[in-house]
Amino acid sequence: MNAVADALPDDPTAPISCEALVHSYDGRHRALDGVSFRVRRGEVFGLLGRNGAGKSTLIKAMTTLITPTEGQLRILGLDPRHDGRRIRERIGVVQQGESFDFTSVEGNLDIYGMLWGIPREERARRREALLARFGIAEIRKRRSFDLSGGQKRRVQVAREFMHDMEILFLDEPTVGLDVLMRRTLLDSVRDEVRRGLTVVFTTHNLEEADYLCDRVAVIDLGRVIVSDSVENLKRLYSGKKTVDVTADAEHAERFFAALRERAGGGATLTVHGTSATILTDDAKTTLAAIVEIARGSGAALEWLNVRGNTLEDVFLRSVGNGGRSDGAAQPP
Amino acid sequence: MALPNLLRLIYRNVRVNTDPASLIILLGLPGMYLVFFGFGFSSLTSQGGSATSYLAFLAPGILAFQTVMAGTVAGSILWADRRFGMLAQLLVGPFTRLEYLLGIIVTSLLFGLGGAAVMLGVAVALLGTTTLGVAGIAVMLGTIALGSVLFGALMLLLAALVKSNNAYNSVQILLIFFVNFASTVFYPLSPRLPEALRVLFVVNPLTYVADVVRHGYGGSLSAVNPLEVVGLLVEAVVLLLLATRAYLRSDVSLE
Repeated sequence: MNAVADALPDDPTAPISCEALVHSYDGRHRALDGVSFRVRRGEVFGLLGRNGAGKSTLIKAMTTLITPTEGQLRILGLDPRHDGRRIRERIGVVQQGESFDFTSVEGNLDIYGMLWGIPREERARRREALLARFGIAEIRKRRSFDLSGGQKRRVQVAREFMHDMEILFLDEPTVGLDVLMRRTLLDSVRDEVRRGLTVVFTTHNLEEADYLCDRVAVIDLGRVIVSDSVENLKRLYSGKKTVDVTADAEHAERFFAALRERAGGGATLTVHGTSATILTDDAKTTLAAIVEIARGSGAALEWLNVRGNTLEDVFLRSVGNGGRSDGAAQPP
Repeated sequence: MALPNLLRLIYRNVRVNTDPASLIILLGLPGMYLVFFGFGFSSLTSQGGSATSYLAFLAPGILAFQTVMAGTVAGSILWADRRFGMLAQLLVGPFTRLEYLLGIIVTSLLFGLGGAAVMLGVAVALLGTTTLGVAGIAVMLGTIALGSVLFGALMLLLAALVKSNNAYNSVQILLIFFVNFASTVFYPLSPRLPEALRVLFVVNPLTYVADVVRHGYGGSLSAVNPLEVVGLLVEAVVLLLLATRAYLRSDVSLE
């Protein structure tokens, strides 16, 4: 696995600083296993990882919902163990699960603003602006529990902007949103970032991370595997190409076995079902090998494509096999 | 000017729980008991030649019963907030766990007093007369406040411990039924009652709430047994401590 060190200098003013953070729910298994990273002021920091990788546990630790078992955590320069309330007064959190009061959409926004101590007139002003910005003005009178999944998500994210904050934690905020609304939400976050907001953003959607994040940390098995700017991570693989290939089901296993033996020139092969992704320095040689093996084995190639690298490739390479059916072959 | 945290939580609890559907249950059920049981059983007792109006007996009992209904509000707030994510959302906001709990207890108290005030109005309207004095009102209010905290704590304990929706609803209904009917809300503790039922009456805190409220309502303050009040106070404190412990130990973040 690649381990790209977070190149940030030790910055005491960093809004978030994690050092060797460990957390175990049951005392045996570690949901976080020595996580270290820092988040700069005014950046969007992405936490990428598979289900169960430790992203949500990390968010819960940073938002003071759980106390880490070991390690140092500073949020806005404060220690969550002793300054939980002072931290929470300065952060906003959109949690992964839904959370609503039994009232209308506008009622939810208004009550939430009131809970944060926003004066009535200011609440009304913000509520109207958010209803318009998130396209929920038409459903303002509907009860929150009668909404569709996407509508609920929009309301939940909009509601968080009822109050002021210095750091916003977004735990998979775009789940259930259509493409248009997803972009609206991401753009809204970007607008806030321009005004100085720091954002920590977890997602499975790597296109979103690519669009929104300044830097990302890839987390797996409770550890940070890679942490760097999106551009640096892509550059890390810039000399390489990705070859996607799909073989017919009958011959796929034998075909990929032969391909694995032949893959050279720094190629990494990741098989998933009847398809494989090959990260290679020499796409021509790889393509020639694929065609030759297909001819020899009688396999029919259903899909063959060569492309540049995306954040998704970085992610797949970072977390290795990703729980799929076959391992990644190391370059010979 | 921004309200203090606790007041904001109380305002939120009251606002979310005063929708028409909730109010129908909170006020409608005791109101219906008062009207249907009151007139129904009054006709029965008058057939037996009793001059005492059953309605006059029942009215303070229903005021006491409001403490149980207030308790269900407390339990429902915690249960709904756990189930629908608002507990975790509030606890990543500017509130502490204890503020949240205190907010629920005070809300329960407000619902108990508010509901009792409405029922008192209904009772006076139905009976057409009252012997209420200032001291009697003070005793009633104090006891109803204490009862609301007590049953609020009991329902909070239930909401903190129970994991499934079905279990919560079933146990709550069972508790309400038991507490309600194994007490002196609807009938006096008569020596003619079966022994087992009498024991249930004696261990049921609602019996003491109903007794003290009835004395306050009837102006017979000298008949109030201070031990009953002390017992209620002790029970309320114990239940509150148990509920707080269960709530603080529950893992909000896993819900």
